[in-house]
Amino acid sequence: MPMPSHGSARSRLTSAAIRIAPIAGILLLWEIAALSGIWPRQVLVPLEQIGATLLALASDGELERHLSASLYRLASGFCIGSVIGVATGAAMALSRNVHRLLWPTFTCVRQVPVIAFIPLLILFFDVEDSFKIVIVAMASFFPSALATHDAVRDIPESHREVARLYRMPLAPFLVRLILPATVPQVLTGLRLGLTRGWLSLVAAELLAADSGLGQMMEMGRQLFQIDVVLAGVFVTGLVGFLLDNSMVRIERHLGRWRTA
Amino acid sequence: MNRRVASFALALAFPALVLGWWEWESRQGSGHAYAFAPLGQIARSFAEMIADGRLALHAGASLQRALTALLIGGSIGIVAGVATGLSRVLDRTASPLITTMRQVPILGWLPLVALWFGNGDGAKLLLVSLSAFYPTVLNTQKGMQAIEERYAEVGRLYGFTRLQSLRLIAWPSALPLIFTGVSQALAFAWIATIGVELLFSASAGLGTEMMAAQVAARTDVVLVCVACVGVMGFALNQLFALLRIRLLHWLPAAGK
Repeated sequence: MPMPSHGSARSRLTSAAIRIAPIAGILLLWEIAALSGIWPRQVLVPLEQIGATLLALASDGELERHLSASLYRLASGFCIGSVIGVATGAAMALSRNVHRLLWPTFTCVRQVPVIAFIPLLILFFDVEDSFKIVIVAMASFFPSALATHDAVRDIPESHREVARLYRMPLAPFLVRLILPATVPQVLTGLRLGLTRGWLSLVAAELLAADSGLGQMMEMGRQLFQIDVVLAGVFVTGLVGFLLDNSMVRIERHLGRWRTA
Repeated sequence: MNRRVASFALALAFPALVLGWWEWESRQGSGHAYAFAPLGQIARSFAEMIADGRLALHAGASLQRALTALLIGGSIGIVAGVATGLSRVLDRTASPLITTMRQVPILGWLPLVALWFGNGDGAKLLLVSLSAFYPTVLNTQKGMQAIEERYAEVGRLYGFTRLQSLRLIAWPSALPLIFTGVSQALAFAWIATIGVELLFSASAGLGTEMMAAQVAARTDVVLVCVACVGVMGFALNQLFALLRIRLLHWLPAAGK
């Protein structure tokens, strides 16, 4: 959220403090409960121990290994899925025949939650990296295709007519007319795709993986290391937040460029 | 008329092409038939799973889980949304917590929940309820905060008590957004149900059955389950949309 620019530095500080206070309160309650000894410390882990575990994981390269494996899968799956998605969505919106050919199937398959394809994909791709990249690609394909389709379809007919009148070739037609008119909506679709990709990837890694944040948490569960699991939850949440936040920033930036 | 036939033919062409390719792959030796179950085999498995009641058992278990969780998570979400929508103090306390919690994908909580609460039905219900909670609380809160000033004015004129203005003004005007929240919650709960069933393979459910079929390398059974998940999700969605129109018919824009 943008900070109100008129407020003084002090009032901004106060509003930040008000926002952080509840979280600090919960953490304090957690710490008190953990130290009270009602539950064993292995079950309700004190915060400093979670922090120490996180530091230990970070310093011996374990966290980096898992995080980079997850991010690599997310990045490649997202790139593949969203590029195909945007292209398919645009094609379905621009050509009536492509629409007739693909739209009914697209609508049917879209009804199935992507994580329901996990067992099927394991059968086809085994539990290697490719299976996880495919699941992320599928998760980001549908929102980006749908958003692009809707965005292109919503372009007023008059815009297209003008392009037709001037006999605009396909490439400039796409770059100068379609692209600027659809950027905000497509970006929202991409953001949704990224979020869904992350969710599906974590699920896939929990189920079957030899590395990745999901696998780190799953190993922690099997070895009854709640501190490792909690460190994993923290990093997973942080990554999700940073991804979403940076997409929002890009959206806002490009939105400004468009209206200028 | 001719046009409709043409578009119908094109709509069928793509799935027909995929199915033809699939069937062709399934005949390329036993190694291929392992992953590409022949179409006839899929149809036979479907008939078999209906006949022995397996499909109904698992689909029923999943449906029950999703709807129970929707009831729990959704009602807590609505109550929390009303409370945070009406009280600034509660809003400032709860909203940052909800926003922070939401950053973790639902299934990311799974290992922790498994360690704390085991992997029984209670743990599954907890996670699915959480997935239904987020959209209901957020939409309810938005609905409560977006009351038109003129309605609030009327309430003040009549000297409504807080309870009266909640029941007569805030609640009805928030209803459309509350319904939006519940319909999103229904979709999320269905997805989360399949997810927790895939990962906690303890009792009946479509997700559990799919995982078992995957381990047994039964692509046909997996595919029947995938189709069932898709059809049921779609049907739930449509049913809820009908219910919404039915219940909100007094609103000018109820259908939207």
